Amino acid sequence: MTQLASTLLSIISRVFSLDAVYVITGIVLWILSLLSFRDRINPRRVRTGLFWLILGAIFAFARSTAPDATGVLPNWLTGLLVLFMVAIDGTGGVSRGHYNESTKEEQIIHARRLGGRIFLPVLAIPIVTFLFAIAFRILKLDVNRGALVGLGFGGLCAMATCLWITRDRFETMMQEGRRLNDAMGAVNILPQLLASLGVIFTAAKVGDLIAGGIYKIIPADNLFLLVLANCLGMAMFTIVMGNSFAAFPVIATGVLAPLIIQPFGVRPEMVAIITLTAGSSGTLMTPMAANFNIVPAALLNMRDQYGVIKFQLPYALTLWSLHVILMWLMIKLF
Amino acid sequence: MHPADLFKLIGIAIVIVGLALRLRTTLVVVTAGLVTGLAAGLPLFSGDRVFEALPFLTKPGQEGIINMLGKAFADNRLMTLFIITLPAIGLAERYGLQEQSASLIRRFAAATVGRLQIVYQLFRVLTGIVGIRLNGHPSFVRPLIFPMSVGAAEGVLHASSAEELPTDMVEEIKAANAASENYGNFYGQNLSAVQPGILLVFGVMAGLGYAVSVWSLVMFAIPIATISVVLAAVQFWLLDRNFQKSAATTR
Repeated sequence: MTQLASTLLSIISRVFSLDAVYVITGIVLWILSLLSFRDRINPRRVRTGLFWLILGAIFAFARSTAPDATGVLPNWLTGLLVLFMVAIDGTGGVSRGHYNESTKEEQIIHARRLGGRIFLPVLAIPIVTFLFAIAFRILKLDVNRGALVGLGFGGLCAMATCLWITRDRFETMMQEGRRLNDAMGAVNILPQLLASLGVIFTAAKVGDLIAGGIYKIIPADNLFLLVLANCLGMAMFTIVMGNSFAAFPVIATGVLAPLIIQPFGVRPEMVAIITLTAGSSGTLMTPMAANFNIVPAALLNMRDQYGVIKFQLPYALTLWSLHVILMWLMIKLF
Repeated sequence: MHPADLFKLIGIAIVIVGLALRLRTTLVVVTAGLVTGLAAGLPLFSGDRVFEALPFLTKPGQEGIINMLGKAFADNRLMTLFIITLPAIGLAERYGLQEQSASLIRRFAAATVGRLQIVYQLFRVLTGIVGIRLNGHPSFVRPLIFPMSVGAAEGVLHASSAEELPTDMVEEIKAANAASENYGNFYGQNLSAVQPGILLVFGVMAGLGYAVSVWSLVMFAIPIATISVVLAAVQFWLLDRNFQKSAATTR
């Protein structure tokens, strides 16, 4: 009986795992790829289809970081496949196709008929995400992983709900998914590529180089200049790496701890968190943070791919300056 | 600084020049990665299994650039997970989701583009406090917040459809939508002790020999979070004022 329960439990934990969600996403990508291959009007259908086919394969088969990971694709092969995908995109192989789109009039007629029910599939995504996150917390598992698994199953629930409400065909839904996916195109994989670039930068010790440069330039006795250099270094590093989480350990080790906390006897928690968010201001300014700045621009079909960054720039610069002033004031006052 | 060290910075130069010239971003990023790795003397492949016999491509005991690329790409699949939500959102759009969102918001006379962004940002701060991390761009901004904002703008300008709005205004609405998501997400998430930002700072400071508590970190995140909300409210209020001005001139 206990054996049955434990088998059942292991099946459930397999099904509701991040790996399972990656496999499902891989299958969705393969369907999109198949539809691209069959898009006869698109002259670049073969290369476009191949691009999404490979991405699907990486999603389904790549080795993940989880201890019980099931992936079979070795890292070097994933790396080569990524290079191949970039080559396809680099030669202009990934293009939009034809989707038998609906007209505005049709949409308005449908909207009148279905009314508020059309919100159900879209609301299903965040609701399922929240439920999974809560369930994972109750089971004392990683909440962030729960939210990701929830996003995957939320997507599935949304698909089922949407088909049920609209009574349309599965293929129509996938064509609509392909319409949105192709609108972004290869920008989709940019966040993953930039994360890889960050890893290579770290391995090449580019970070230590920047921290070392700051260390040499600034005078060690002027608190305001040190605070300025600390926040500037954090923002600059984040702009280059596209990720404040990658920048923080470098700046904290190279600048914050040896030049501010130690010599001035500052409360570490006070300056540490402000240093991190000084980096967040950098994130708002950089195309390297593609998942926050470039992918949304593509997702919203903006004409200017840097449109989001341009809007955020005055806000980010003001907020960054306030970080410098706040940190300096807090050290002075407390 | 060693001259060989400076050579490593060539990757950053490639990125800046490539993005400035608007070359294909994927190609620029991967080139920068390969060049930086090679400049730092890293091998192309790790020296295990298949590549053991290839002396020029590997170095004993060092991880290869291609291996790093593959591993990081696979580890970060979660960033691209939103693709799974696209079919449902696409089909819902075909059946009038955007139209319905816009007509919902038009019922509220007080709704403006700016106020909607402020409310959405506060909602994202709240999800941050509760400790839930989510990517709101595909799940909220594109399907709901953007069409609602367009609906609000139609109300302010007395336009009867999105097509009547000036293109520049629609572009600015899109940018504001993405920005309110980012503002709320970045500065709100540090208000929870289980969020990765706080845990990262906790871990790094502990590694440096400073035993800080996660709760004191959260406490010191409050001032910046407050400022971030106020500053955004000012920016969104200015956006509303601009829209009202352009509404006055077009009439």
